[in-house]
Formats: sequence, C-alpha cells, structure tokens
Amino acid sequence: MEMEKDARPSWDNPMQFVLACVSYAVGLGNVWRFPYLCQMHGGGGFMIPYLLMLILEGIPLFYMELAIGQKMRLGSIGAWSAINPYLGGVGIASVVTSLYLCLYYNVINAWSFWYLFHSFQSVLPWAECPVNSNQTGYIEECEVATPTQYFFYRETLNISPSIDDNGRVHMGQALCLVLAWMIVYLFIVRGVKSTGKVVYFTATFPYVVLIIYLIRGVTLHGAMNGVKYMFTPKLEQLADPRTWINAATQIFFSLGLGFGSLIAFASYNHHNNNFERQAIVVSLINSSTSIFASIVTFSIYGFKATFNYESCLERMRLLLLNTFDMAEDTITLDNVDYWITELNRTHPDQFANLAPKLDTCDLVAELDTAVEGTGLAFIVYSEAIKNMPASQLWSVLYFSMLLLLGMGSMLGNVTAIITPLRDFKVLARNFSNETLNGLVCVFCLLLGLGFTTRSGNYWFTMFNEYGATFSLLFIVLIEIITVSYVYGLKRFEKDIEDMLGHRPNWYWKIMWAVVSPVLLISLFIFYIVDYIRGGTPTYQAWDAVLGKSVVMEYPWYGQAFIALLLVSSVCCVPITALYAFCKKKQKEAKSVPRHEHTVSTVSVV
Amino acid sequence: MFSLLLLLLSLPPALALECSKDHQDGYQVRLSIKTALGDQAYDWNESELFLFKATIAFAMRKYTKNETYDVSNIVVCNETPRVSFWFIVVNPENPTLAITKTRVEEAVRVSRNRINNAFLLTDKTLEFLGIPPTLATPVTPATPPWLIVFGVVIGAVCAGIVALLISSFVRGKRANKAKEFAEEDDQAKGADKGISGETFEDRNGVYNQAFSDDDRFTQL
Repeated sequence: MEMEKDARPSWDNPMQFVLACVSYAVGLGNVWRFPYLCQMHGGGGFMIPYLLMLILEGIPLFYMELAIGQKMRLGSIGAWSAINPYLGGVGIASVVTSLYLCLYYNVINAWSFWYLFHSFQSVLPWAECPVNSNQTGYIEECEVATPTQYFFYRETLNISPSIDDNGRVHMGQALCLVLAWMIVYLFIVRGVKSTGKVVYFTATFPYVVLIIYLIRGVTLHGAMNGVKYMFTPKLEQLADPRTWINAATQIFFSLGLGFGSLIAFASYNHHNNNFERQAIVVSLINSSTSIFASIVTFSIYGFKATFNYESCLERMRLLLLNTFDMAEDTITLDNVDYWITELNRTHPDQFANLAPKLDTCDLVAELDTAVEGTGLAFIVYSEAIKNMPASQLWSVLYFSMLLLLGMGSMLGNVTAIITPLRDFKVLARNFSNETLNGLVCVFCLLLGLGFTTRSGNYWFTMFNEYGATFSLLFIVLIEIITVSYVYGLKRFEKDIEDMLGHRPNWYWKIMWAVVSPVLLISLFIFYIVDYIRGGTPTYQAWDAVLGKSVVMEYPWYGQAFIALLLVSSVCCVPITALYAFCKKKQKEAKSVPRHEHTVSTVSVV
Repeated sequence: MFSLLLLLLSLPPALALECSKDHQDGYQVRLSIKTALGDQAYDWNESELFLFKATIAFAMRKYTKNETYDVSNIVVCNETPRVSFWFIVVNPENPTLAITKTRVEEAVRVSRNRINNAFLLTDKTLEFLGIPPTLATPVTPATPPWLIVFGVVIGAVCAGIVALLISSFVRGKRANKAKEFAEEDDQAKGADKGISGETFEDRNGVYNQAFSDDDRFTQL
C-alpha cells in the first residue's frame, strides 16, 4: 500500500506528454522572434542555418534531456544529483533560471489579458487617439507617436521616462497579473493530472487561430508584398557569422532547453515510453510552427506596409491637390509620382515651398522596418488588426492565441520549479500538492507585481535579456559535457537501451560527444565576447515628449542587478560542487577512526 | 445723364463688401466630395453653393438668435476646381460691415454637425481652414467595459479553483476513511507488515536508480 502511495504520478497517455512538450516549446518566441530573425538574415535563406542547427544541436539536446528525465524519474535537482553528486548544482541552476523566467513571463500574459479585455469595445481603444481635455484636438503624446504606441506605453504600461522613476503599481496590470497566476494555478493544481488535460487545449488551439489568421492574412490587400519579401532569399547574408549564431541561439532557446521543464515532464513518463520518436516529432513541430507563424507575420507585415505606403501616397495627393487647387479626380494614388515631377516642372517656386512637407513614399522602406519582441506582438500587430474589417473579432482571436502560447510555456516553467521541490520528501510530506503549488504561485505573483509598476517594463526587459540567456548556455553546456564525458556515453547508451530496447545510433553519439558541445562552447565564447565588447548595457526608454524610444544606459544598480542575475544561477554549480566535496570530506573524517581501531586490533591478534 | 449712370454704376461696388483671399474676416472652405463619397459623389454646382450659403445663414441665425441672416449676406469668392472658396458673412442691416472672424467661428462650431450633414460630409472632408473641429465628447460608460469581461473571467476561474480544491479535499477525506477501514481489517487479521512495508528510502537515503545496475562507479 505504501509503495503505491509514493508512486510517481504519470501522464494518462503518451499523447499528453507530447502535447505538453509541444505546448511548452511552441511559445511566444516562435511568433515574435523567429520572423524578425528571418527578416534580418536574408529571408528564405535563413532556413538553411536554421534547419542545420536543428539537426546539429536542437534535436540531440532535446533527446538528451528527455532521456535523463525519463530515466531518473526525478526533477532536475534530483536527476543531476543522481547522475553525479558534484553536479547537483546544475539542477539548482535550472530551477533558479526557471524562477526568474516565471517571474517575468507571466507579465506578458497579463498584457495579453489586458489587450484581450479591451477588445470588447465598439472601437478598439488603440485605433484612435483619445481627445484632450478641452476637446480641440488629440492628446499630444498620441499625436507625436501613433495611437497603438500610445495605448501600449501610456495606457497599458503608464511607463516612466527612465528606470530610475519608480511609480505606483498599475492597478489594471496588477489585476491581470493576478488573473494570469490564478489560471496557471488552476492548470497545475493537481500536477500532471490537471496539466495533462489542459495541454490538449493549449497545444492545439493556437494552431486553429494561426490557420484562420493565415487565411485572413494572405487575403489582405498587400499581404503578398510581405510574403514575397520574406521568401526572396538574400544568400549573401549566409556569409555573416551573426546569421549562424542567431540560428543556433534561436533553436536553443525556442526548444526551451536547460530550464528543467523537459526533465520534469519526462520524469512522469513510463519507463519504456518511446521518447526518441517523440523528441524528433516535437522538435520538428516546433520549427515548422516557427516557419508557419512567420508566413502569417509577413503577410501581416505586407498588409501594414502597403497600408502605410498608400496612406503616405494619399497624404501627398491631398497636399498637392490643396496647394495647387486642382480638381479632386485629377490626381489618383497611381499618378502621384507623375504629378510631383510635373508640378515641380510647371510651378517650381510654389513647389519649393512645399518641399519640406513632402515625404517620399517607399514600400520597401516600410517592409524593412523589422520589429521583434513585445513591440511586434503588441504594437505592430495591433496596428495591423485595427485596419482590418471586423477588427474586434481579429483582435480577440489574436490575443487569445498569444495567451494560450504564453500559458502553455508557463505550464512548463512552473512544472520545472514544482517537480524538483516535490522530490524533497520533507516538502512532499508536510505540504499537499495543492498547497505547495499555491505557495509557489503566490510567491511568484508577489515578486512579479514589481513588473507592473511604472518602470516595470524596463526591469522586464532586463530580465528578458539577461535573466535566462547566458545561464542557459552554461547549464546546457555542463549538461552535455556531464552526460558525454563524466557519466559516460556508454552508461547513457545502456540506460537508453534499457528504456527503448535499442541503442542510439551513430548520429546521436557523434552529436552528443562532439558536435553539440563544440557548438555550445563557441556560442558561449561568443556571448562572453559580446558582453565584454558591448560596453555599458543600455535599454530603450520611452520619451513621451518625442514620442519614440531613446537609448539610455543602465544606472549602477541596474548593472549590479544584471551581474546578480547572471552570477546567481551560474554560481549554483561550483557552490554545490564545493558543498558536496565538503560533505564527503566530513563523512570520510567520521569513518576513518573506526578503520584504524579495527586495524590495530587485528595486528595485535 | 451719362455721368449719373457712371455714378450709379460706381455705387454698388462701394456699397458691397469686397471679398478676397486672405480677407481678415473671411474663412477658406475646402470640400473633398469624391474622397468622402466615392461613386455616390455629387457634382459641385451653383445649387450646392446656394445650399452652403443657406447653411451658413442658418448657423448665424441659430447663434445670434434674433438677427435675420439671408443667403445674400454670405459672400463667396475665389472658387477653384478643387472645390474650395472663401466666404465672408456680412451684417444683414449693413452689408458693408463684415461679421468678425471669431463670431463666425463660434457660429460654425455650434452648428458644425448640421452643416456637415447637409452635405453628407464630415469634419475632415468639409474643412473650414482655421476652425478646429469640435471633437465628439468621448463616451465614458460608468464601468469600463474591460472590467466587466475581467470580472466574468476571474469569477469563472475562482469558481474552478474552489471546485477543484473542494473535490480534492473530499477525495482526501474519503481515502482516509478507506485507509482507516483497511488498517482495522489488517489489525483484525493480525497481518505482519514488517520489513516488506518499509521502503529503501527510510534506510539508505533516496533509492538511486542511476547506480542500480552499473559496473563502473563514478569516482567521487
């Protein structure tokens, strides 16, 4: 009876595990980071380094983490302590990094909720500027920037001019964050039993929305401009090393390696689950979703760029008509350029007066504006959506999709913290499942409220850029070296044969032993060099007067905090190794006198 | 006779106000009919101009409340193919006197909506250059609509959490009761649990599967 009670909970069926991995891996990065990289590094040509890196590092590392989790049947701390007691710190580092991620990632879900709730209005609030107090015009900050930027920076974030100005907590944001954490709790309250049912929805619904958006997107006016622009490969970009580095890091972070979530998910599998096939399937699904999402994004880009281009032409047309008092139908959108040259020729002095107000309307320049991250998701996309017919419906669909992508990833992040905690018998005995999960959620919520203050977005950006990137590289590098050389590939192969029934073939072994570590080491070195050469870290602050972002340097405490973020997770590894070493020395010291005693008695006899 | 005719001819210009571009009390009006109405655009002609003069006269009457303005008191000049022109409003009692710019502006602002609708146009397509549009008062409902949706969603989530927690609690109590019965049964039968009930965990720390069947120990 007791053995059954302590038996590890498990997924109801292997499909739940696969969907959980898909839900975790397919996240916001597929939607807002990959299209940007594609655009920056030569469109269709970027597929080559991307797919190559998937084969060289993505799938092997993913396979490795699943194997460890399924074999050890413990969370990251327990699993790595079991592999090598000196390297239990790798598990602790994973948990710390997951904690940082949980703190700030749910704030994105809070923003998605905010936008989603604000979509239930007859006019989308980011479609128009609000009227100023004496009703003569629009609010100045909104005039200088665009209504979508105003809505994001002023009404959603109420952002302060720099990281130094802390303000009060934004009540709406705080409420949405509370809601986000409550939903996370609802999804994980019973561990895998509840998570397993939720992932059916969180993994599949985003695809439904993406397909709907694909159909809507490619039928939009001007969408083809964007898609053509994306797929025209600029193969000269392949010569730039940054292309390859970005491809490697994108694969790495997109699959969510190093956080311990994959180990945690796999630890709930049956011993003989065929994770080899599942690893390949999930990795391929993740990459194809990125490509699919970027087709959608580029059709939206094309629509937005064409819309802006045609608005520009319309403005110029009106300007010419009004200045030269010509009848309305003489100039159409098509012959604006012709008329510009014509009027310059016939009325040169009048035209000279006009010159400062004349913008050059360039479609390619509009398409070239590459945006990533929250700027893409919340500003560019919402700008495109407000111009679509039936914009409220599209807005609701889009932000629901963002929410599900974010929630799916949060499930993995929180599971990565809770699973190792539950492995400590002290905690498991004194706290029930529900209580422990609730405490973790409340803790993260309280700390996360700091991101809802007026300067919260700047701290968010800091966490986003420094909280997980470098530490993950370090963690996964230690992981692969441990598995390949400290634990030993032979022993690892035997474990896999034990679970799957066959040994991994030569491809896996070469990747684990040689290729992936080399790639990771070079990425690691590149990151360090980049940090050192980059000088003082900077961030983008929103200037309300100018209506755009300006670059500012972090103050001393900001830089200290960045250092703390980087060091706190990385130093878990050496500290734990030292601790294990000291404990071993202590144990040896205790057992030595007994040996001496027995030896002396033997010699006497 | 001839000189009298000359005198008579010269009188009307002196009597009527000279409308010109950039007159200090004049306003320029610009209509963008084709932009606003597309295929259903009407042509701008004398009748439409007459309607315009009538609406301005109406606006002045409404604003001043007693002075009787007529279409002849609205003087229009400088018409262009763009469909833009200048107009000046003259005092009905003294046609040489122009109504000041500010009064005209006030009158137009008060009746702007009526003027726009007479021409099926909006503030952007029927422009009075120099008169800022009166933007509609933003409709602020008592509760912001997003709070309503938020309330619904958070209520549902709370209900879900409470339901799950209660069902876990009830299940736990039932399991405890079943365990009590099972233990009572065991005691009655006198079963000896002994060592088989203990797990390895209580003795040697955590049972470590990594080292269960290997032949080479990791050197500590």
